[in-house]
Amino acid sequence: MSGSEYLDAARLRLGGITLVVLAALAAVLALGFDVDLSRLITWGFVTRSLEMATPIALAAIGGLYAEKSGVFNIGLEGFMIIGAFTTAGTMFALGGTSPTQGHVWAAILVAVAVTTLLTVIFAVLLIRYKADQIVAGLAVWFVGLGFAPFAAALIWGSRSSPGLTNINELALGQSPLVFLTIVLVGVAWVFLYRTRYGYWIQAAGENPEALDTAGVDVNRVRYATVVFSGAMAGLGGAVLLAHAGNFVGTGSTMVDGRGWIAIVAYLFGNYNPVGAAAAALLFGALDMLNVQFQTVGIEVSARLVNLLPYVAVLVVLTAYGKTRIPAVVGEPYETEE
Amino acid sequence: MSGSETGSDGGALGALAARLLDASVLERIGIGIASTALALLIGLVIAAAAGYDSIRFANQLLVGAFGSERAIARTLRSTTIFVMTGVAVAVAFRAGVFNIGVQGQFVVGGFSTVVSIVWLGAFVPSGAVGGIVLMLFGTAVGVVAGGLYGALPGVMKAYGDANEIITTIMLNFIATGFVGWLVAGPFGAPEATATRTRRLPESVGLPQVVFGDPNLSIVGILLMLGVVALIAVIMTRTRFGYDMVTSGYQDTAATYSGVDAKRMVISTMALSGMVAGLTGALFVIMIQGYYTDPSGIGNYGFDAIAVSLLAANNPVGVLPAGLLFGGLESAGSHVQINSDIPVQLIDGIVGLVVLFVAAPELFRMIAARTGLGGDAE
Repeated sequence: MSGSEYLDAARLRLGGITLVVLAALAAVLALGFDVDLSRLITWGFVTRSLEMATPIALAAIGGLYAEKSGVFNIGLEGFMIIGAFTTAGTMFALGGTSPTQGHVWAAILVAVAVTTLLTVIFAVLLIRYKADQIVAGLAVWFVGLGFAPFAAALIWGSRSSPGLTNINELALGQSPLVFLTIVLVGVAWVFLYRTRYGYWIQAAGENPEALDTAGVDVNRVRYATVVFSGAMAGLGGAVLLAHAGNFVGTGSTMVDGRGWIAIVAYLFGNYNPVGAAAAALLFGALDMLNVQFQTVGIEVSARLVNLLPYVAVLVVLTAYGKTRIPAVVGEPYETEE
Repeated sequence: MSGSETGSDGGALGALAARLLDASVLERIGIGIASTALALLIGLVIAAAAGYDSIRFANQLLVGAFGSERAIARTLRSTTIFVMTGVAVAVAFRAGVFNIGVQGQFVVGGFSTVVSIVWLGAFVPSGAVGGIVLMLFGTAVGVVAGGLYGALPGVMKAYGDANEIITTIMLNFIATGFVGWLVAGPFGAPEATATRTRRLPESVGLPQVVFGDPNLSIVGILLMLGVVALIAVIMTRTRFGYDMVTSGYQDTAATYSGVDAKRMVISTMALSGMVAGLTGALFVIMIQGYYTDPSGIGNYGFDAIAVSLLAANNPVGVLPAGLLFGGLESAGSHVQINSDIPVQLIDGIVGLVVLFVAAPELFRMIAARTGLGGDAE
């Protein structure tokens, strides 16, 4: 227990350091560059940050459930790409280039269903056939990077879709998907820490033999969490697309590393859904800083500012790499008969 | 189903683990071929489902890879890059370090080579000797830059416990974005309409012997073979290589035998990055002649992971695996011109190859069921 207390202390210290650095940065901008801070941090910035954070938070929650149960799903990025593409493809199939809001919701559901089905195959490879989790996860990324732009080219004759439509805002200028994510974060927390099933998940990753002895099938728990992680990553991709309004399949696609950042978000949040969502918000805000810089008139290349989340990930991981990883992540479980 | 399961799993757990580790060379080759065949088959089915003639597609793949002298030269050109980046990955994976950052190290190495040659080119007389001096200097800079960029995540892992899979992926994004910014801005060629650096001087270039292709030199192929041989010797015949491979299999054993785990991680990553940087240097000197936005340069460093895995992370095995990928890439450029099938299909097929390589148990099961495996217990 003292280990986790030590980690909590380290986490608070890191959180403190982050705040100090941010305050110092704000001071430098305000004094050195004569920047009006009230124009830098606006309601629009909050909205954009939340929009950017939601896909990351959703994928992160899925990923942390899988890892809590002892399976490292590093295919999140790939499943997000597939989710984003499926949403765009379904929207286009239903409503052409001017889909309605109903089509958007239907497309999101289809995307979740498709990624769920694909994740079942992935889960069978990982659990039944004991595939190398790291290599297979990378493969999912490659499959997404290849087949999503391929299918896009088949449909639209180009790797990217034409403009489709965004999801309408619900209240306070926020999309309903932001509220949905907030609800899901809360539910994920309660489920993991306050229900019997949540304890099963934790036991599957910490002490699978004990869980087995208690009469719970370890691999069934793991199937459930891995499939859930794929579904959540697919939902994350769908949400990303519903906020963006069109699919981009060039380069590393519109997902552009967010699945990887999701992994860092839950590591940073110490496998706690609320912590992971908070970390996602931090990365989302960093991602949107370039828009703010432009409006305030700070001349920095957008391309450089866009690298900030990646740099932040490096700093976070290095300053704070020692997470309490579940005991048996990556090891297939063999029932002893 | 459960009947056959208890039959084959009857042995102890340890036996299974041992079998996984000591999978015979023959079995690995079998798994590699089976993975590739299955992935290609699925690719053909997808092509057919998308409304294309799969027989024609298969034929185009073959013609595009090996159908003419030009195609063969194109295949070999890509093969040199895939084999060398594949060796870079294999070095790290064998040591149990997941360097996913070969792409970034390749980009940083290649870009540094161009910048250093262009800079030094102003002081060195043009001519054959000057050209050789420039190439050696630029290559050295590329190797060092790639090595440092590889060592960075090694240091982060050794001293900050940062997971190298994630740090190297982040460093890939950073290398692409930062070099892309440098190429567009500070190091952009003022006279060029496209986004690129200045060209390398005329004197820089490898001799064209044997092959007529201007972007393929026998020197490049010899360099590739040299790197494969050197790494294979380091891994099997030196103390350093022995320690490295031991760390990969059993890090506690390595620690007990006196290996400094932190230093091992850093030097492994540095060596891997150096090979990637060398590949970047060869890429710019032999093929490109300048640097462009790295987001459009090709995913050599990513596909290299597939190459290495297909070769079971064996530096010599990387040769046939790299040839397969060189062939696929070459076929891709043929398909792009001569067919209306979106060429991304080939990237997807590559992804499937990796997926199947990750699950050898799948093929062991198939082999056992169909009786092809023979003595698979």
